[in-house]
This record gives sequence, C-alpha cells and structure tokens, in this order.
Amino acid sequence: MRVEERLYTLRYKRDEKPHLEIKDQQTCNKCHETYKSPCIIVCPANVYSFVEGKIIVSYENCLECGACKIVCPFNNIIWKYPRYGLGISLRYG
Amino acid sequence: MKYDAIVIGAGPSGSASAYTLAKNGYKVLLIERGSEPGAKNVSGAMIRESEISKVFETKDIPFERIVKRVRLIFRSKDDESEIIVKPKSKLYTISRLKFDKWLAQRAENAGALLITKTTVTGIEGNKVMTERGSVEGDKIVIAEGANALLSMSLGFRRELKNEETVLGVKEVYASTRNEVEKRFNLQGDEGESWRIISDYPLPSAGFIYTYKDSIAIGVGARVDEIITRGIRPFELLDSFKMPYVELVKGFSLREYSAKIIPENGFPSFKPCEGSVYVTGDALGLVDPLTFDGIGPAIISGYLAGKAENCYSYSKMLFEAREISKVIKSRPLVKELLPNIGLYSHLVNDFLTSWVEGDFSKLRYYKSSLGKLMKHLILGLGVIE
Ligand SMILES: Cc1cc2nc3c(=O)[nH]c(=O)nc-3n(C[C@H](O)[C@H](O)[C@H](O)COP(=O)(O)OP(=O)(O)OC[C@H]3O[C@@H](n4cnc5c(N)ncnc54)[C@H](O)[C@@H]3O)c2cc1C
Ligand code: SF4
Ligand code: SF4
Repeated sequence: MRVEERLYTLRYKRDEKPHLEIKDQQTCNKCHETYKSPCIIVCPANVYSFVEGKIIVSYENCLECGACKIVCPFNNIIWKYPRYGLGISLRYG
Repeated sequence: MKYDAIVIGAGPSGSASAYTLAKNGYKVLLIERGSEPGAKNVSGAMIRESEISKVFETKDIPFERIVKRVRLIFRSKDDESEIIVKPKSKLYTISRLKFDKWLAQRAENAGALLITKTTVTGIEGNKVMTERGSVEGDKIVIAEGANALLSMSLGFRRELKNEETVLGVKEVYASTRNEVEKRFNLQGDEGESWRIISDYPLPSAGFIYTYKDSIAIGVGARVDEIITRGIRPFELLDSFKMPYVELVKGFSLREYSAKIIPENGFPSFKPCEGSVYVTGDALGLVDPLTFDGIGPAIISGYLAGKAENCYSYSKMLFEAREISKVIKSRPLVKELLPNIGLYSHLVNDFLTSWVEGDFSKLRYYKSSLGKLMKHLILGLGVIE
C-alpha cells in the first residue's frame, strides 16, 4: 500500500504556518550527496523530497513522530509543534 | 494567573502527576497540545494492571481486551518458532485515545484544570509560556513525551542519538468484534498479544494486539539501522506484515501512525532542577526489553507529583522498581540487539533439534558460548 493511501486514513487540521522548516537549502544539497538525506529515508509520511534539486517539506502530512530531527546530520530542521492543537489527531493512537 | 502546580502534557505521565498533585490539595493546571488527551499519542499498546493500580483505581479502566495469551515469535529469514505464554498477572490491551482521556479525567475529577489545544513554548523561572499567554506555577512538571523539545531547550537532556532511538510504525485494521474473536479464537473480553522478534530485513521487534473490533499491528526498529540499510519505515512494516496478511484480510485500514521510542535517559538525563521536574518518555523511561513505557511514565509522574524537592524525586526514581528495571535493561538490550539474528536462530534450532531428537545442530553455538554467558549474566542483573 502506498504511503499516500495510509495517510488518507488520518485526520489532519492544517496549521497555515509550517511547523517544520529547513534552515539552509545548500546544506541539504551537500547532505543529499554525502548522506543520501536521512530525513527522507526515516520519515514515515514522505514529508521530505527533492524536487528539481530543492528539498520540499510537505509538513501537512507530518505524523509528528520526531524522527527527522534526530537523524539530520546537520541539525538543519527547525522542528516546532503545530499551533493550537492543529496537525494530526489520532483516533486509536 | 498563578497555580500551585503546572503539568505539561496530558499523556499517562502528566495525567498521573496532575492527579497526584490535585488529590493532595494542590491547585493544578494540566496543559495539553492535542485537541484532546491522546490525540497525539501512539503506543501498541499493552499495559500491566499491577503498575497502573499503584496510582489509579483501575475498576473502570477503558481496556480493549484482557490478554489471555501472549505469542512470542522468533523469526529469521527462513525460520520461525513460537512460544505461547499464559500471563498470570493482568495485562490489558488499550487504545491510547480512550485510555489517555480516561487518565486525564481522573486528574480532572480530582480537581485539576485541563486545557487542551495549547502548546507550551518555553519556561522561564516559574513562568510557563504558551501560545495563548503565560501562567505561573510553584511546581512545574514536564511530561511532554519522547520528542522532548522543552526538556532539551532547558538543558535537562540532550537530543537522542540514532542508535538510542527506535521508530515505531503502526497500523490499525478494523472489522467487527465477532470477526476479531473468530480469527484469534477468543471469547468475550479475552484478547491475544503477539511479540515478534526478527532479524529480517533488519533487527526489529513487532507486535500484534487485539482490540475490541480491530487489530493493531506494528514494528519498531532502531533509527541507525533504518538509515544505514536505507529501508523506509513503511517498507519495514510491509515486510513485517507479510506473513500475517490473512489476519487482516477483509479488514479495513483505519489508522497509520508512528512515533519515536527513547532507549536512553535517566540517570544520564537530569530529572529535575529547582521546582521543575521531568517525567516519563521525556526522561527516557521506556523499558527497552519489553517496550513498557506507560507503566514507568505513570510511576514517574506520580513520584514527581509527590516529591517535596528535587533530591527526593531522584532518590525515589532510583528506588522505584519500574524505573530501576528500565535502567538495568539498557546494557542487556545493547548487547542483544546486534545479536537478534543469533538468538532467532538459536531458539529455532533448539526447538527443531528438540522435536527431531537431534541436538547436533547446536554445535555451531559452541563458539558463541562466551557471548551467551555474558548476556545471561547481564540478564540476571535485570532480575532483582
Ligand atoms: C509504536 C509504539 C508502541 C508502544 N507500545 C507500548 C506498549 O505496548 N506498552 C507500553 O507500556 N508502552 C508502549 N510504548 C511506549 C509508550 O507509548 C510511552 O512510553 C508512553 O506514551 C510515555 O508516556 P508519556 O506520558 O511520558 O508521554 P506521551 O504519551 O508521549 O505524552 C506526552 C504528552 O505531552 C503532550 N505535549 C508534548 N509537548 C507539549 C507541549 N509543549 N505543550 C503541551 N503539551 C505537550 C503530548 O501531546 C502528549 O499528550 C510504545 C510506543 C510506541 C511508539
Ligand atoms: S537530513 Fe537534514 S541536512 Fe539532510 S537533507 Fe534532510 S534536512 Fe537537509
Ligand atoms: S516528525 Fe516524523 S512524520 Fe513528521 S516530518 Fe519528521 S519524520 Fe516525518
């Protein structure tokens, strides 16, 4: 099953303000070459991807698992929580 | 606004803390970032009544099923063995939304004020900052869970390393009560839990839990293994699920979730300073051997609520059985993890040798005897 199909099962309330941000794009390009972007590998929700040589963050899909922040070798992700209870809401958990 | 105590996070640890404080007459504010308690939280989950009942009256605990059988499965690429254990103590499966709501309600019934949809963004002295303004509290308990942004920003602990972090991914498949009971041969409230230790495609520990009318299926692997082997979490979950597809055939996928699990922490993380206390996953209190984190979270929350000062909290943590078990298990797990393959094979070879009446297959393990002894000794250290 594709990740997108799994994400369809979830309830999200989108925070207009992204809760995840990349500090520096250049660092990501370097990381992609040397470390193959660990954030892309570890993310269970395909939040990170390279599109035309630029890292894109689809923060709306984030499961708030906390893994990408840990694996980023350059500490290049500004990781905050979505505001006011927005973001994901689980039914089973 | 001033409170006697402010508790950050309405997970098991925070609610246990708020409940304890409120019951002792403190004016307590419990702050949760989710739309309701549990909305942001992930577990398998199986809990032990003996741990919960140390803090809460468990009469009306919202369990899914009472676990009558635990299936332990050792899997390697080509082999699989299974041991069935009938637990003597009371184990429940729970789903977090219902369970966390119930816990938070205990705190509210005891007099704590719960506010949701509010994220704490910082702490300065006895001031707790949120996105809706700030409040003051004489005592502050940080029960924020494994993604411990506050505890880290305040210097209570550092970030986890890849090799100290497990990523758990989980799916819930729903059908009818009847169908779940039929597939697992269960009656009434009875439930079954599976624990699957596997070294393929990477060292991992999986679970299958029966809920009332659904099945939870998930797997956890260390983040460093995921990264070095380049296996995506959902690929790992798919590979793990493959032998069990019949179990969920015809069921519908209701939820997909993931969360990190800490495998290091107290005493190397600082549990308190002045009147600020850290509890539960934020302090890294998950037993890496059993993935039991809810019990230690509740116990530590309770102790932080009870503690008169930082010194007594640290002391009580060391003395609590549920917490010392976590600390003692870590060195053993560090040893076991790279050897999961060895053990999966050993268990499989031992059982087949026994069935076949020929133990010559076990010759191969002679060279590993030193290692096995070391693990046994470490294992004995976990037993009190
Ligand atoms: C896949 C998986 C399976 C597991 N299986 C089991 C199991 O079977 N049995 C078991 O005992 N344990 C299990 N665990 C471990 C267990 O989930 C944790 O140990 C437990 O949830 C820890 O409780 P806690 O209260 O410390 O943290 P959490 O449950 O994470 O609660 C923290 C709370 O704080 C809130 N919060 C965080 N930051 C803020 C902030 N800044 N402001 C306001 N609120 C905030 C969060 O929204 C959350 O409600 C499992 C974990 C995973 C990931
Ligand atoms: S891991 Fe960090 S540096 Fe590397 S691509 Fe991802 S965000 Fe950029
Ligand atoms: S927190 Fe988890 S789900 Fe969200 S972007 Fe990071 S790795 Fe992906």
